[in-house]
Amino acid sequence: MIQLVYNPHWFYGKDIIIDIVSIFVLFLIAFFSIKFYKLNKRNKNYLFLALSFIFIGCSFIFKIITNFTIYYHILETRRIGFMTFTYNAVNSSHILFFVGFLMYRLLMLFGLYMLYSIYLKQQKSNIFLISYLIIISTYFSSSAYYLFHVTSLFFLVIITYRYLKNYKKNRDFTTKLLAYSFGMITLSQVVFVFVAINTFLYVIAELIQLASYISLLITFIMVLRHGKKKK
Amino acid sequence: MARKRNRIDIIADMLSSILDKGGEIKPTHLMYKSNLAHNQMKTYLEELIEKNCVRKITKNNHEYLIITNDGSRLLEKIREMKEFERTFGL
Repeated sequence: MIQLVYNPHWFYGKDIIIDIVSIFVLFLIAFFSIKFYKLNKRNKNYLFLALSFIFIGCSFIFKIITNFTIYYHILETRRIGFMTFTYNAVNSSHILFFVGFLMYRLLMLFGLYMLYSIYLKQQKSNIFLISYLIIISTYFSSSAYYLFHVTSLFFLVIITYRYLKNYKKNRDFTTKLLAYSFGMITLSQVVFVFVAINTFLYVIAELIQLASYISLLITFIMVLRHGKKKK
Repeated sequence: MARKRNRIDIIADMLSSILDKGGEIKPTHLMYKSNLAHNQMKTYLEELIEKNCVRKITKNNHEYLIITNDGSRLLEKIREMKEFERTFGL
């Protein structure tokens, strides 16, 4: 049987708060990116960045829905026991879990692929091919959990590398902090790959994710402040 | 080789030039300070006046251009956008 929950009992619900923080940061940056796109419609990269962050933010919303169904399921079985009455509730939870988890993985991978495509321009044929591979690997793979995190890791390593290159070119604190933020998001994916070994690793991965999104928020605030100060 | 300025860069340069001169500037000075040909400046200036970012006033028989609050806000937004673009490598 596939293990659904890697989260220790005492951490239930806390990961939802971490995901809400991540969603807030992603949507905030996406909102400003759309505003900047309206100012300069010639640069479509603003729009792609906003869309990729919206995709990733929405993927976290589905992750929260998925987690809710798992926690709900656990609480129900505890309260009611093995009465026939619980059977339907468990069944519907499974469907919600399946759809939620599938959407979480699809949106996250498409979001990361879109971000990756900003820095490594893709041909149309490539976009179709990669999209096809993302869909079949997410939907049909028996080891979907690992495949998802390894694919995310692959995209994130390249995105982080591009941000590091950008830092080497510009040599300032905000570009450095952005590279660090994405470096931490990448690290969280590495830890997520190994959560089956010990559930405590899930907590560590979530905490790294929280630190990375707070760092991303600080980077963004600094970008706006530097922009205002610049003469 | 320096990158060719786009529309947004030129508008930012014009607004910065006015602001650097304390918020008001003579049209000829603006033309030199923002490195524009006469016709080019005329086109951009018309757009900025139409959008209420710049206003024309007359002082001591000389024409001056002044930056409005909307103009200052637009310049702030462009600077934020440029910083965002540079940081994210867009």
